[in-house]
This record gives sequence, C-alpha cells and structure tokens, in this order.
Amino acid sequence: MKRLAAPLIATVLIFVIAAGPALHAYVFDTTIPSAGGCPQPDRWSLSLANPLTRQWSTSLPLAPPTIITAAPAQTDAQLAEIEQAIADSFAAWTGVSDTTFNATAYPGLFAPIARVSAQNACSNDGETNVDGLNTICFNQASAAFTTGVLAFTRVITANAPGVSVGSSVTSTFAGQILDADTLFRPDGQGTFATPAGLATTQGKGAYDLESILAHELGHWFGLDHSAVWRAMMFPYAPPPGQFLGDRPTAQTPDGPLSDDDRTAIRALYPDPNDSLDAGSIRGRILPANPFALAAIPPTSAGRFVTGVVGASVVAVDADSGSVVAGTLSGWTCNASNPPLQFDGSFDIERLPLGHNYVLYAEPLDGLVTPADLGDALDTLCPQNGPAACALPPVNANFNPRGLPSSQ
Amino acid sequence: MKRNVRFCIYLLCAELLLCCCALRATTLERMSLARMAQAAQVIVRARCISNSTGWAVGEIWTFTTFEAGETWKGDSTARAPGMITIRLLGGTVGALTSHVSGVPRFHPGEDVLIFLEPTSRNDFSVLGWAQGTFRIRRDPRTGEQIVTQDTAAFATFNPKTRRFETAGIRNLPLAAFRERVQSAIARNGE
Repeated sequence: MKRLAAPLIATVLIFVIAAGPALHAYVFDTTIPSAGGCPQPDRWSLSLANPLTRQWSTSLPLAPPTIITAAPAQTDAQLAEIEQAIADSFAAWTGVSDTTFNATAYPGLFAPIARVSAQNACSNDGETNVDGLNTICFNQASAAFTTGVLAFTRVITANAPGVSVGSSVTSTFAGQILDADTLFRPDGQGTFATPAGLATTQGKGAYDLESILAHELGHWFGLDHSAVWRAMMFPYAPPPGQFLGDRPTAQTPDGPLSDDDRTAIRALYPDPNDSLDAGSIRGRILPANPFALAAIPPTSAGRFVTGVVGASVVAVDADSGSVVAGTLSGWTCNASNPPLQFDGSFDIERLPLGHNYVLYAEPLDGLVTPADLGDALDTLCPQNGPAACALPPVNANFNPRGLPSSQ
Repeated sequence: MKRNVRFCIYLLCAELLLCCCALRATTLERMSLARMAQAAQVIVRARCISNSTGWAVGEIWTFTTFEAGETWKGDSTARAPGMITIRLLGGTVGALTSHVSGVPRFHPGEDVLIFLEPTSRNDFSVLGWAQGTFRIRRDPRTGEQIVTQDTAAFATFNPKTRRFETAGIRNLPLAAFRERVQSAIARNGE
C-alpha cells in the first residue's frame, strides 16, 4: 500500500491503522438525523430525472455597480459575460474526474443555467419560504449582511427522509441538500469582476468573481472550509485583483481547484467506477502522554476524550511535494451506539494509488473553538436525544516534530 | 529520507507564501481592528446564556441571548436591560437545517467580546461574523484573561521565521486588547 514517512510529533503520535471505524474525512458539513444516529455528510442526490437546478438573478446593482464586466452595463453582452463566469465556476467542480457528477462521465446531472429577473430570487417571501430553487443573487439585500461580509451561501438540508422545500425533490436521507443560494453584497462595500472585467480600469480593486463563486459553489456541494493552504475551500482568498489556481480551460476546467478540493469532492461524491483514487489513510492522533487529556470533561455519559481533536492532518505527495488532501482529526461514530467518540481519528480518502505520502499533523494554534471551523464541527453534537454530546475543545496544545522515517 | 522530507516542507512553505490574504470565510473583507472599532456601534463583553432558532424573512436564524457585561462602546442594553440578543443566519428548525459557513456559534457559558451592529428588528448581528467575535479564556500558565479572534484560527507558515503565524488577534491579554480597542475608538472620535 502506501509508505508513510511520518515527520511528526513531539508530544503526539500518529498511529496509522489498516482499517478503522467509519469516519467522514476532510471538512464536510454534516447534519444530525432527527431520528438520532451519527452525523451525516451534507450532499445532493442527483439523477437524470432530478438534475441540479440552477439559476441566477439578472438584477444587478447599478448605483454603485458591484459586478464589473468588460462588456457595457445593462447589455446582453454583460449578462453573457457574467453567465460565463458562473458556468466556469460550476465547471471547476463538475470537471473533477471520478465523481458521480463529472460532466463528461455523467452528463445531464446539472440543468442548464437559467436566468430570472426577480431581484430577491434567493428567498422570496415573508417568513418560511425556502423555494427549493438554487439561485445566485447579486442584488438581494439581506439582514444577514453586516459590515465586512461580502458574500455568503446558505445551504438547506433535510434532517430526515420525506422532507421537501418549495419545488425541491423529496429527501431520501438525512443530510440531503434541498436548496442552496448564494448572495453577493449589493450595496457597494465590495465589487466583483469577471476575468475580463478585472483587466479594466473599473475592475481595479475588485475581487475576482470566479474565485469567490467557485468557493461558494464548494459550499453548495457540501464542503466546509479546508485547512489546506491554496485550496479553493481555504478561508482566505487572494487579494482583490488576483485569483486562485489557474484559469479554467476546456482541457482543464478544474484548473482553479487544488488537489485537496478535488480529493474532497471525490470523497463526498465517489464514483463507484473509480479505481485510481481508491487509497485511504486512516489513523488517530494521540498524545504521547494520555494523561494530557484527563482534564477534559466527558463528552457524553461515560465517554471521555481519548485523542487529539481538531488537529489539521495533511497528506503530501512525497515525490512532487504537493499537498494532496487534508482533514481534521476528531471523532468516530458507531451507528448503533451514536454518541460520538472523540478519539482523534482521521480518515483521508480517495487518494491516488501508487504514490508515497508524507503525513503531517499540525495544531490549529491558539484558542480555537469548534465554532471557528464552521458547521463541520459545530453541528456534530445534538443537545438532546440518544446522540446528545458536548463538543470538547479543539486541542491545539501540542508540538509536532520530525521522527525518523517509518514504514 | 530526511532530505526528502525537508524538501516537501520547503515546497509546502513556498505554497503558503503565495496565499495572502483577504478573508473569505464565507466571503469576508479583511478589516483592521481600528476599522472594526469604528464600524461597530456596540462593543461589549458578554456571557452566552442560551440559543434558540426560528424562521424570519424567509431564513432560519439562530438567536443567541447574552448577559451583557462591560460595554466598551455604545449602549447594548437600551432595548432589554442587562441582556443582548444576537441573530445570525443558520440553525435547525423542525426537519430542516440551514448551514452558513463563517457564522460564529456561541455556547452557553461562553465569555466573549463581540463587535455588534443593530438590525432593523430590535436585536443585533455580529460585525463581520467570525471576524467580530473574540473568545475570552484564562491562560492556563499565568491565569491571565486572554482574547482570541475567531478568524485567527488558521495559521500560515513564514519560512523566514520558520514559524506558523496567524493574522488577527490571538492570545492577547484582555487588558492589552481593551487598550487597543479604546485607543482605536478615541482616534476615530478625534
């Protein structure tokens, strides 16, 4: 299998084991089933009969303009330019090979990108309506925007089978995504430019629309933020005027993404016919001194923290030096005995076979609470029911160091 | 092998250098402490009491109630003496869960410093979401109260210093943080 040269650990040891209990790798958003049980990764259920609907509102802010294009404002050419940026951002994800929605292997799972003229197409009425239509809005105000928030994506998932919203399909499993909408701030606090728009005078100081859209669409598909640098899902974007990765081309539509993004989306939507990316590395991050965890309160009745929670675990291709994938160490869950066991487990899946990997574990330094890492950890523990548990603090109190290489 | 490992580390470091730095967590604009102190209408230390969720304006919101402590700027309790309610996107209602990355979540008993903006619905939102959220804890070695900004969670490696470095406020003594905030407020008021 793989040779693990582990350049790690002073007070922490990584034990790589051949097989372990089920654990969701990378940083996925999860949903707790309303009937109890283990957290389920959020994901779509797509088929030719139920393709992903997607639309965008052609209502654009004019005073001031926040979407900068090379084409003149309020022209068909401008709309075409924006729509191309949207299409390219989707194509970055559908261009990843060996997923169940790869555009080449499984065409037809994404409906054509539609246009709507309604300004508030991302949530369109008073109190409880989520419409089940997946929409990108550039001109919808939201009470959620505070100073400094430029764009956000809201993803609605079902907590049980048999649930629908608006015109969505009816869910067949807990964690099924039913609706996703992205809102860009419309009031001029930020401007966003298409690739051609960035080159214009007006586009100076604008954020790259494609980079932000591709990141937001990662949230559409169920990904949370990644702790791997340069990943599309890393929470820090390039400064205004710059973009992540390579611009997409017909040959490499997924050029903007990093290997970590590709591995994550493959792990969330694994192609059963994929024999190339069938590798996985599983293990636990454990303190050299187990008494180091003694002060952490039990997370549920009789269950204590037995590993390092919240370490960033990164697999690096030993030959190329590129970061292939990363995840957070944390927990396992037994479906028949659901309260989570915070045992420091990690699982990096869908790794290309035939490569050697170096594994790193790094603390997320400082005071890091589960909330800092978004919904990925924050939604793991329900407050009531048989799966109720309390999140332990993220453990950043260790110092990795190199070890002699090992098999 | 050691050389190989070192080579990988250097390559990783080179990648890290290339990734600065507007914050996008969903997509946030990076703001200096001075700018946040200027933009926030209220800056308050508060202890989380409880969370609830509900629908409003076509969205699922989480409403977090805090017991207000020391107020550094503005008046946080004009609407409900001693208490603050914050609304933030996301949460679970019935059979549906709304996920929004970058939104801070608070747990009962947590001690925080938060930069707030009023909403049109008689409550508050957190300025810049995770960016305007600062968690307070005691330094286990000194017993001193220290403050860390939510957005300081991710570190980048600086090969010059050979250290992982974070942007934002991290493990800053509360007294020093107060001084910086109050200095920024005073400068803005000039």
